Amino acid sequence: MRHRSTFMELLALPGGPGFEEAVAERIHRAFLAYTHQVETDHMGNVLAYVPGSATPVPTDLGEHLAPTVRPRVLLAAHMDEIALMVTRIESGGFLRLAQTGGFDARTLLSQEVWVHGRQTLLGVIGAQPPHLSTSEERQQTPSLDDLYVDLALPEARVRELVRPGDRVTLARTPYELLNGRISGKALDNRASVAILLECLEHLRSLRHTADVWAVATVQEEVGMRGASVVGYRLQPHIALAVDVTFAEFPGQAPDESFPLGSGPAIAFGPNVHPKVFAGLRAAATRHRVPFHIEFTQGPTGTDARVLQLTASGLATGLVGIPIRYMHCSVETAVYDDIVECGRLLAHYLADLTMADVEGLTCY
Amino acid sequence: MKELIMELAACVAPAGREDVLHAVLTQHLANCADDIQTDVLGNLIARKHGQGQHVALVAHADEAGVMAMHADDEGFVRLTAIGDVRPACLPGQTVQFCNGVMAVIGAEARSKTTEVGWAQLFADIGACSQAEALARLPIGTAGVVWAPVQPLSEHRLGGRAVAQRTACAVVIEAFRALANAGRQVSAVFTAQQTVGARGARTAAYNLQPELTLVVGAAPAGDTPEGPRMALRLGAGPALKVMDGTLLTPARVLRHLADCAERCAVPVQYEVWPGGQTDAGVFQWTTGGRWVGGVSCPARMVSGSVSVVDVRDAAAAVRVLTEAVGSYA
Amino acid sequence: MLLSSEELLRQLTEAIGPSGQEDEVRNLLRSQVSGWTERCYTDVLGNLFCEQGSDKPGPRVMLDAHMDEVALMVVHAEDNGLLKFRAIGGIDPRVLVAKPVYVGAQRLPGVIGAKPVHLQTASERRKPLNIEQLYIDIGARSKEDALSHVQLGDAAVFATRFGILGDGCVKAKSLDNRAGCAVLCEILRIPAETPRIGVFTVQEEVGLRGAAVAAYRVAPDLAITLETTVCADVTDVPGHGQGTVLGGGPALTVQDGQTLANQQFLAFAVRTAERFQIPYQFRRVKGGTNNFAAIQRSRAGVIGGSVSIPVRYLHAPVQVMALQDYHNTVRLVQAMLHELAEGGWPL
Repeated sequence: MRHRSTFMELLALPGGPGFEEAVAERIHRAFLAYTHQVETDHMGNVLAYVPGSATPVPTDLGEHLAPTVRPRVLLAAHMDEIALMVTRIESGGFLRLAQTGGFDARTLLSQEVWVHGRQTLLGVIGAQPPHLSTSEERQQTPSLDDLYVDLALPEARVRELVRPGDRVTLARTPYELLNGRISGKALDNRASVAILLECLEHLRSLRHTADVWAVATVQEEVGMRGASVVGYRLQPHIALAVDVTFAEFPGQAPDESFPLGSGPAIAFGPNVHPKVFAGLRAAATRHRVPFHIEFTQGPTGTDARVLQLTASGLATGLVGIPIRYMHCSVETAVYDDIVECGRLLAHYLADLTMADVEGLTCY
Repeated sequence: MKELIMELAACVAPAGREDVLHAVLTQHLANCADDIQTDVLGNLIARKHGQGQHVALVAHADEAGVMAMHADDEGFVRLTAIGDVRPACLPGQTVQFCNGVMAVIGAEARSKTTEVGWAQLFADIGACSQAEALARLPIGTAGVVWAPVQPLSEHRLGGRAVAQRTACAVVIEAFRALANAGRQVSAVFTAQQTVGARGARTAAYNLQPELTLVVGAAPAGDTPEGPRMALRLGAGPALKVMDGTLLTPARVLRHLADCAERCAVPVQYEVWPGGQTDAGVFQWTTGGRWVGGVSCPARMVSGSVSVVDVRDAAAAVRVLTEAVGSYA
Repeated sequence: MLLSSEELLRQLTEAIGPSGQEDEVRNLLRSQVSGWTERCYTDVLGNLFCEQGSDKPGPRVMLDAHMDEVALMVVHAEDNGLLKFRAIGGIDPRVLVAKPVYVGAQRLPGVIGAKPVHLQTASERRKPLNIEQLYIDIGARSKEDALSHVQLGDAAVFATRFGILGDGCVKAKSLDNRAGCAVLCEILRIPAETPRIGVFTVQEEVGLRGAAVAAYRVAPDLAITLETTVCADVTDVPGHGQGTVLGGGPALTVQDGQTLANQQFLAFAVRTAERFQIPYQFRRVKGGTNNFAAIQRSRAGVIGGSVSIPVRYLHAPVQVMALQDYHNTVRLVQAMLHELAEGGWPL
């Protein structure tokens, strides 16, 4: 539970794709508690290196790029959140929007937002008022094209302070519900950033051979762009993506939803190496971490999608916790799931040996 | 500038058949480049070795078009798209194929105009039999809609491929200026962009420049009930903030804005969520590189004809030359 | 034991190999080619590489065929013992109803059922059944019963038997792309005249994923993808909608959903077919793609293309192929490799 407050801080920070600096800075500071080797790359990915502790053992594994004899593992959790961008200033000073990441436009009506112009301005998202629309139009849902941001400023002032290309992020202070449930924006995927932190915390108390790179990636919501760069640069033996999945809710398919508070979901399917999956499941069982299995049938919508196809291929795994109401400003999760998922990853890392790595190419 | 654009726009170069344009591009680059090569995908790459970090200027060479896919017993040819071409816009048009064959396009009489798809379209090349049709137009022959570029006014050009070839002209002019100043720089004319940035991938892997500046055309929103874009024709080049493939890093965007200010060039900002360009590929190929973009506003970018303002292109050359020249 | 063409096709098409679970196919192929290769190994995704002729001069040629097939994955057991499933790869749900399947590596028999036509309303009957309305029935009495026989995540494949059909044709499941695997197997048994790497790839049906990493590893001078392709030369389809014709010979691609043919490769393939008097045809449809799309854009770009066998009813439980197309594909690929070794196309 060490990072609950860090998590709450992260939720409040703005960080759309390509605009992650504020979040990155906070994560950078949090990583420093576990290693001094923290760096930020070209695209803004934050990489923390925690070396393994065991004595190197000679091996005949000659194919990999770096001359290490310890397992090299990447943990990738994206830190960006879905966000918006100003496309045009209409007469009257109203701002039109484009999305960076997939919104349900219906969740944006009456949403408060931050407009990051020459100053940071608070605005409200509006649409044509109901009394001017026909009853037929009220049956239709507004699309993003119909919405605008109202800054309640004169047009001239808006044009001074805002220009096309400025970022717009959801304004939502995190909110505590019953039973330790936390609601807010950006749980997708700061919950997984918190998992990385809880994992590193737990890992301190364990002996691990593996060299670990804990990485907060950028621009996942627009196509996993950050992770593809990190994967190529590090070319680890194993790349684990940590990303949220769907929590139970009426009307959802049973294989696509998991109860809140009952532990992480471990993904199985073509996007995941069968032995990495088996290793995660074994670690969960051995260390009594409650878990579910998420069945996937093709490339997943996570960083694992691009990590698997990096260079000559990486052995990938995918874990994450369930959240409700994904991609809006009241995403909801349980902190206990975060802690348990961090514990699962720490044990998986600690149990990992070079023999496991050598087995990854044996089919 | 105007003449160069018109010369380039006169070339027929649908994706996969960029070779026609290569001859003309090479002619304009030969006296200032150290070497010029083409690669497997059909990219043309001119390099100049010199001072400073390696910067690449990128514009795609190809355009959307059509391809002959089948000939029936009567000698009518069936077509499919190369890139984004709407079949409903084609009946009544003339097509020029890469081998010089001309065709007029018709639609099956029973099809409704709004529902015309590739299966309802045919090309009449004047053939009387399947054998004649296939001999003159082998399956796989590519072509473009015939709509030659025209000067519309003193500064504005309209016609087929004019938006894209304007970007090529900008890259040529900027490359020349930089190469003559002894700057290390590459000019990359990518192939197969209109079918999904295929050439850009292999060019990016091959070159790995420190900074890539992608030059293109971005839709102007100043036409009647036009697309919701803030760009206007003739109001200056657009600095790319985002498109469907790239969120320009703040550091690069700031550098471009500073350079424009130093050259006293007024600029606009491009926010084009649907834009599929080469930019993203240059960013993420091989572990992450610096990328930015400068675009010339163009009307009706996705149609078979478009309109550009030559003054925007000339200003883009100045911004790019300054941006590369001063890149540390 | 070395299998004949027909027996190879039978064993390969009856093997189970959905994307990501290609083990059975891989093991069968390894047993068929390992005696002919210098080095046989797998990578982290499960691609099987077979290297030959590394001491020979000439271009390094990569030949690939994907092993995986479209299939179903069991994802949930209902209280009454019926199994909910999802598709692995692109399956038209309309072909699923009333088909027998095998579930899991142990080949547990099951059938795909839906609400009887009598109980459907008139409007329901007009709509195709979607995957949410279909279940696999293995005969289990309850959820517990079902889960004592089946593990969630198990794949289900169509229980189609390989057989001879009509005049010189075969019918089977997964001719896409076990026919391509069989072609590659036969090619690898012919002594190599140039360095070549045969790759049996994984995960084509979920996005050309195996080929992408295989091409990066091999970095070949030339690549040829061995595939099957759409063939709709059936009643009610006009000439320009057929794609290819059964019995018309191997198909060469001019443009598909993700590639524009390399002009030199296409000319080389046509020249070779004509010189050796092997029938060929162009694939006259744009939709769809194959592994070459991923290979072409690997690293700084790879020259090459694909050679495809026409197959009717791709991705369906029963697929149909003409054996002469199969044999002509082997001949054409062999001829192309020979021409390359002779310097017929200096790379």
